[in-house]
Amino acid sequence: MKSELRTMILVAVASLSISMLAAYAVAEAQSDGLATPESFASISDPAKRSVALFTELGKVLTHPRCVNCHPAGDRPRQGDEGRLHQPPVDRGTDGHGLAAMRCPICHQQANFEPGRVPGHPEWHLAPREMAWEGKTLGEICVQIKDPKRNGNRTLADLIHHIGADTLVGWAWSPGFGRRPAPGTQQEAGALAEAWVKTGAACPN
Amino acid sequence: MTALSITINGRAYGPMDVRDDLTMNDFLREFLGLTGTKFGCGAAQCLSCAVIVDNADGTSYTGPTCVVPAASFHGKTIRTVEGHAKDGMLSDLQKAFIEHFSFQCGYCTAGFLNESQVLLERLAAKPVARADLEKTIAEALDGHICRCTGYVKYHEAVRDVILSDPGRYLIVTVGGEAR
Repeated sequence: MKSELRTMILVAVASLSISMLAAYAVAEAQSDGLATPESFASISDPAKRSVALFTELGKVLTHPRCVNCHPAGDRPRQGDEGRLHQPPVDRGTDGHGLAAMRCPICHQQANFEPGRVPGHPEWHLAPREMAWEGKTLGEICVQIKDPKRNGNRTLADLIHHIGADTLVGWAWSPGFGRRPAPGTQQEAGALAEAWVKTGAACPN
Repeated sequence: MTALSITINGRAYGPMDVRDDLTMNDFLREFLGLTGTKFGCGAAQCLSCAVIVDNADGTSYTGPTCVVPAASFHGKTIRTVEGHAKDGMLSDLQKAFIEHFSFQCGYCTAGFLNESQVLLERLAAKPVARADLEKTIAEALDGHICRCTGYVKYHEAVRDVILSDPGRYLIVTVGGEAR
């Protein structure tokens, strides 16, 4: 009887350990992958290939790691569910927060895991005109090409912004408990470049 | 590890080796014994852990200590609740908080006190009209959470301190009256 009890306890402890490890694994979950530009080569029509490339890139653009800082309102969002930022903060006039609550007061140079606060030296919100929240991928595509609504960027600038900007790159290294954007920043940049080269067509 | 040097309430500390994953709140409370700074929500939402950070240009702001690394305060000058009373004498704000029964458990008080002090200094540098005072106080204290007394008594205490010296904190008209 004692032996059976010991076995049951061992099984329970093992089960608990496995479930805890599983939860940890979920928190550290790897991102979904991105298809390479080459994988769209079978689409002969350049415009259709361009749309397909942007649709693939859209997995990144519509990901919570990106949309949460391209909100429709004046408050950033958090988490995979896009809840409003806590504590309540406002974008302020420059996207870096109000005078009394600037982003870097909490958001440091890098992620600070003990406080569960993400960080980057340039942490701030995308300008209001660059809001993506609530928009279709087609609407984002049109917007992202419009210099008045993309930070006055050329298409070449966009490729760099998506593929090399270190603040954008945070989306792939978001810290514990946050799901990274799909693929890698390099892969996203390659998709953006291929999309531009094929005419930067937008999905409907 | 970071060799942290910091000035707190006018006193220089360090350089002290601190782990890069040490929060500022733990540094204040566990390393220096400055337990007046509280640990509340641990998520920068209640601001009971807020301290005053003094900029080189003479301006100041409050910031939470629970979610930021101690190392990020290297070279900075800060004030905590322990720095308000001088020579055993409470500050005007502290007296007003007591007179108004602004707090019960006191857990949020350090944060409110620091925020109110920054407000006073800001108003001394840039007074506001009397008509804008209530909104100014409300906006300044916004974000600090109190679960005992509510917020009105803090608000009234801060207002009393400001109105006790209107020439310093408010725009005074030609007739000498704060409007």
